[in-house]
Amino acid sequence: MSELLNYLLNPGHLDLIYFSVIGVLFSCFISFLPALHIYNVIGIFLLVVLKFEAAMAPMQLISLCIGMIVGYSILNTVPATYFGPGDESLSYYILPGADWLAKGRGFESVILTGVGALGGIILLAILAPAFVWFLPGLKSITAPHMFWIIGAVIAYCLLSEWPKGLSQSENCWTNFFEGWKYLGVGLITFLLSGILGFIVMAKTMVPIEFAFQSITPVFVGLFAIPWLITNIINIGSIPPQHEPESMELDWDLVRRGTFGGFLGGFFAAFIPIVTAGVGGLMAGHATAQRDGRLFVMSYGTCKTVYYVGSFLLFFIPGLSLTRGGLAWIVTPVVTSLTVKEYFLFVAIMIISAGFSFLLLIPFTRACIKLVKRVPYHWISVLALIIVVPAVYTFTGWGGMAIMTVATGLGLFPVLFQARRMNLMGVLLLPVCLNMAGYGNDILRFLGLL
Amino acid sequence: MKGFTHFISGIAVASFFPQAVHMASQEQSFILCLGGIFGILPDTLDFKFAKYFHKSDFEIRPDPDDLDANVIANDVVKAINKAKETGRGTVQLHTMQLASNRWRSYTLGFDSKSSEVCVEIGPIVDTGQIPFEGTELKDPKRSVARVKVDDCEFYQQFDKKSQIAIMTGPCFEFVKRENGKIEIVFLPWHRTWSHSFTLGLLISFIVGIISFLTVGDGPNPELYTIPRWMLYPLIILFGSMVHIIEDSTGFMGNNLFYPFTKDRTNGLGLMSAAEAIPNFLFVWTSIICILFNLDRFRWAPDEVAAGISSQLAFWGWFYLLPLAVMAYYFFKGKREKAIKAVKTVDFDSQSGAEQETDVSVI
Repeated sequence: MSELLNYLLNPGHLDLIYFSVIGVLFSCFISFLPALHIYNVIGIFLLVVLKFEAAMAPMQLISLCIGMIVGYSILNTVPATYFGPGDESLSYYILPGADWLAKGRGFESVILTGVGALGGIILLAILAPAFVWFLPGLKSITAPHMFWIIGAVIAYCLLSEWPKGLSQSENCWTNFFEGWKYLGVGLITFLLSGILGFIVMAKTMVPIEFAFQSITPVFVGLFAIPWLITNIINIGSIPPQHEPESMELDWDLVRRGTFGGFLGGFFAAFIPIVTAGVGGLMAGHATAQRDGRLFVMSYGTCKTVYYVGSFLLFFIPGLSLTRGGLAWIVTPVVTSLTVKEYFLFVAIMIISAGFSFLLLIPFTRACIKLVKRVPYHWISVLALIIVVPAVYTFTGWGGMAIMTVATGLGLFPVLFQARRMNLMGVLLLPVCLNMAGYGNDILRFLGLL
Repeated sequence: MKGFTHFISGIAVASFFPQAVHMASQEQSFILCLGGIFGILPDTLDFKFAKYFHKSDFEIRPDPDDLDANVIANDVVKAINKAKETGRGTVQLHTMQLASNRWRSYTLGFDSKSSEVCVEIGPIVDTGQIPFEGTELKDPKRSVARVKVDDCEFYQQFDKKSQIAIMTGPCFEFVKRENGKIEIVFLPWHRTWSHSFTLGLLISFIVGIISFLTVGDGPNPELYTIPRWMLYPLIILFGSMVHIIEDSTGFMGNNLFYPFTKDRTNGLGLMSAAEAIPNFLFVWTSIICILFNLDRFRWAPDEVAAGISSQLAFWGWFYLLPLAVMAYYFFKGKREKAIKAVKTVDFDSQSGAEQETDVSVI
């Protein structure tokens, strides 16, 4: 124990804090980039643009990554609330977030998610020693069953979408078709996204040197561009935002929100392909959440535990579980994983979370000022101008073609008010069927093999 | 119970079949998901199908430009009078959508003491049911109505007002009982045939015939006491049964032996369907059972190390401890509510139904 403390309190590790702080500051910038999945963005910056892998010591690079992922997971709520969602994990938050924003309570919503996120980090830190004990067992139990667990997630996501509509016609069939219109769009969206996923995974049109970015145009098309188009078309403005002097919070809310969010985030971190949005939905239903504040706070915990937890899993000694792109990025620089490095990770994670939380209020105020000065739809136009050329730069015309198709699909749920989560079929369906061994049959059926 | 609770309970039930676990791990079979799908099926049938084909005797479509609570109350009384004459009467109340995110709300209640139907026109609300200040009707004669039903005594499990505001409005059935009382049945199309043992048995029987004709023995049949073809109907049957059993713990029961029984029974009333802790208790129990079963039924247990090294530690740390924490918070919550003398919101009943995003909780 004393050896561990000496290691953690070694002044020689101050550089790691420095790099984690740099990572947090960098995440403020990243969180503005709409719908570029964080892991891919970090990949581009670290490996391609900055070539950090060669320039930094392994633990420094890891500290930078921890700072970025912790900072991103806490701070990305701010641009998501004021400018639209950043990626698919955030799309789950759009409706409640937009609702609070429309009521002038965007600031409150951001702080609640921040408190939730901080709660998630604290829980991760508390449970960190226990993870070493029980996660290897959990991994060995679930490893042969991952495909059907993902299958069950798919089944639940599809079955748990309920009909909408007023059903006020005197004709039963009119009411039936009105209700099923939304469900049908959801099912079609899921299926078409799944087919797109198979195509992208089997025959990517992205240049080979950017193969690790092959999923980026898909995500940009499915999640970013439809949202930006909606923002541009919508004639409206963000109402004046109220900044309360104090927040209405009690321990019961914090306890319930953090607990539910932690479950969802941990599930998403542990199970491959499942994202915070899907995990949050399931955990919200499992813990019977209804209160709006509870949902917002729980969401903050969920996405933080998902992003940070999936990276943390990689460092658990004896687990060898690589979840998420960030873990893959640091794989080449990590030679051995010891308990010391694991707890160093946890320490840097807590420091990064504290710093990110301190940044949250000034960052939110800055975004509110920006929204006041620049018309909302112009920010979306600017984002579109940044995103499309970025996709072209890194993925070429092939990527642009994929992005265009994905945009068409991404507009489906937006136009028909169906669940955007169905778009996750792009990963869930092909990965699930590939893991179950049916992937080649599907590819043969689609004429791709 | 929540849809997720039913879903994961169905999977948990399926995991008790060792052959199903082996099929999943060795043959990449999705058979365990079957339990989950049939676990949530009864609600799927109700809210995605049955709801649309239920015909009401009376439909109330209030005119938002000419609002009068008396008109609504009198229409409800017509349905009650029909029940008095013919034995049954149903009424569907519709919502009033004013704009994409604006709804005029109203409430309906039944006063058992005075045998009155009480209607109150409420404020305009948004889809999140947040009222807009100052939008209440100014004329008290038109905004509140209490219409007495002559020679009638109400019987209802819940004496709470039903808020009719957003999306689809509720449906009520009035049934004349042998003692002459008029029973008020909320959502008469819900938890009837779809939530019956008979339907579960029928589906299992049909699936059993198909699987008997199409499913072979599979590898190592000598290891199992149940033939492989029988797994499918059994998982379907137990998956749907666990839904019915879980629902029975709430206030609104099920029509267990439809069509041999005509009406829904009352639930045991042990817990409310939307309460967080009871829902999570079922979910957590299911997760623990699934993990325990996946581990003990792992393939080649002599060659593959167990994920659960100590069963005592597993059940103690992961089940008994969370159970104790849940019990603590559950009873603490009950005590606090009792002290505050606030009525618990019961989502089995009318009051919470329209506010619930996961309809299966109703």
